[in-house]
Amino acid sequence: MLRMEKVAKIYRTEHVETHALSEITLHVREGEFLAMMGPSGSGKTTFLNIAGLLDTFEAGTFHLDGEDVSRLDDVRSSRIRNAKIGFVFQSFNLIPDLDVFDNVDVPLRYRGLASRARREAIEEALEIVGLTSRAKHHPAQLSGGQQQRVAIARALVGRPRLILADEPTGNLDSAMANEILDLLEKINSTGATVVMVTHDPELAQRASRQVHMLDGRVIDLEAERPAPLAAGHSSSARS
Amino acid sequence: MFAYQLRLAWKSLRRNPGLSILSVVGIGLGIGVATTFVTTYYMLSGNPIPQKSDKLFYVQLDSWSPERSYDRDHPDLPPDQVTYRDMAEIMKSKIPTHAGGMFKADLTVHPAGDGQKPFRQLVRMCFADFFPMFDVPFQFGSGWDARADAGPEAVIVLDDEINRKLFGGENSVGRTLLIEDREFRIVGVLAPWKPLPKFYDVTNDPFDAPEGIFMPFNFVRPMEINTAGNTSNWGDGSGDGFEGFLQSETVWIQMWAQLEDEEQVQTYRAFLDAYVNEQKKLGRFPRPINNRLSPVMTMLKDQGAAPEEAVGVLIIAILFLVVCSVNLIGVLLGKFLARAPEVGVRRALGASRRWVFVQHLVECELIAVLGAVLGLGLAALGLELLNRMFEAQFAFRLDLPMVGAGVLLALVSGLVAGIYPAYRICRIAPAMYLKTQ
Repeated sequence: MLRMEKVAKIYRTEHVETHALSEITLHVREGEFLAMMGPSGSGKTTFLNIAGLLDTFEAGTFHLDGEDVSRLDDVRSSRIRNAKIGFVFQSFNLIPDLDVFDNVDVPLRYRGLASRARREAIEEALEIVGLTSRAKHHPAQLSGGQQQRVAIARALVGRPRLILADEPTGNLDSAMANEILDLLEKINSTGATVVMVTHDPELAQRASRQVHMLDGRVIDLEAERPAPLAAGHSSSARS
Repeated sequence: MFAYQLRLAWKSLRRNPGLSILSVVGIGLGIGVATTFVTTYYMLSGNPIPQKSDKLFYVQLDSWSPERSYDRDHPDLPPDQVTYRDMAEIMKSKIPTHAGGMFKADLTVHPAGDGQKPFRQLVRMCFADFFPMFDVPFQFGSGWDARADAGPEAVIVLDDEINRKLFGGENSVGRTLLIEDREFRIVGVLAPWKPLPKFYDVTNDPFDAPEGIFMPFNFVRPMEINTAGNTSNWGDGSGDGFEGFLQSETVWIQMWAQLEDEEQVQTYRAFLDAYVNEQKKLGRFPRPINNRLSPVMTMLKDQGAAPEEAVGVLIIAILFLVVCSVNLIGVLLGKFLARAPEVGVRRALGASRRWVFVQHLVECELIAVLGAVLGLGLAALGLELLNRMFEAQFAFRLDLPMVGAGVLLALVSGLVAGIYPAYRICRIAPAMYLKTQ
């Protein structure tokens, strides 16, 4: 599903050059639930931004769902983001002016779907996250956990092949965090690939595979285990 | 998709009502001022009789001195008026559909009502053709006929304002009015009529109001009525006595003819040339033949009837609108950049830069349209204020083309003000804002 080969990302200022990603190589297979851990500044978010086509990189290649997406123009990368990728953020990033229904509607608007098709998809997504009754509420009227469930509904409403979650439980208590993990597992079980950045080793354990990032390099914890990966969840990572 | 973007724009305006009102008022002020003065310029320099301006011809004959041209700055132009004797002769032609010489006089009106004192009033001395030739609208009665011209019969037409002043706006047809020492019977009352400019006589101020009373031209001789307009003469000057004035080379009469097509124009031109050649044999018209038949708009251009002040004010008004637009750029830039986190989310969810750019332009144009509504209201008030300040002269109004011009100005201003802020917001790096909201 996601194949990065020697991808390097460097942030430059006038005097300083920071290697955010140092030629990382990471393959994520379709249907995997990958947890990425690492200390702050290790490059996890940079990786997610590049994986989500929100940022460019200096060197290496990146294939998403079999397509080389290393150098795409804005229109094409926006289309791929809209069609194939769903984002879940730590701070939910809901649009405060819009109610729950309209927040979930946002990615479908860029797809040009008819009103009826959008409504059906939104209702289905809200049902999955258990917020059908809150469709007309605004984000400020919801708890943190509910807001994150709305964000998950928004991420899955367009039936993306890849969910990128950047510390999705970072702002939630443990009970809420487990609920969100339950949801991500549920989505993963439908065939969607999930890549989740987290600081919480306990939550990371619930993923089918864990990788660690340190100083812009990927350490594949599964690869270091003596037993081979189960079929369908095999992967490789090099740094 | 446009409806969605419009809805987002409306939500955005409601999110910051203070800032939105400031933006709308800013652009509205600019549109109000610009539309007011675009309208005044449009009406002052526009076609005062569009339905037949290409059929109405101002007649000029070069009867001027052999020593010098009439207009030193434009030596090719003949005098802007004709002599009485030339007018009287060419009026005999049956070629034009309508024709007539005219001038304005300043006469004393003696109202019949109690307590109304005599007053001086500008009177247009003209022929019966004046009314059908210029499509003059009547509310009561009509103009007089050719027989009244020939008599002349003591008939007059009042304009709406004089009729209100003397008869309270009632139908005064059939009533009489003493002018100088003669009693005239009223045969018609005009509906409100203020052509801008007063194209049928631009020899004085083309933005003067039309005269309040219209009287058969041929009373000029029995009443020895002098012109209250411009006179120019050469050679023997204005002659001895009133009859001498009429027979002199003094030009003081405006001459018009209605000609329906090119053939009629050529026929009438040939008639004028033949007339001048005849006069040359009698020792008049010492200059080469230079007769002119100028359609209304050509005549207005030749006579410089568009006021230069209006052009200056128009430029200042447009500059004011530009300042308002530039001010709006700053307001919008601040507003849009404050929304960068939301734009970051939208970009992550699939909005392209182009979509973000268009969405923000739609918001600018929504501000512009609301500004246009406010601005057109202000323009209507501004024009009403001008009408009250110059009540006798102007009747400015916001017609459909000017409403369209106001809306167009607003849309262009919104676009100009919005392009840079929309460009800036669509170029933000979404990744920067997704972690930090």
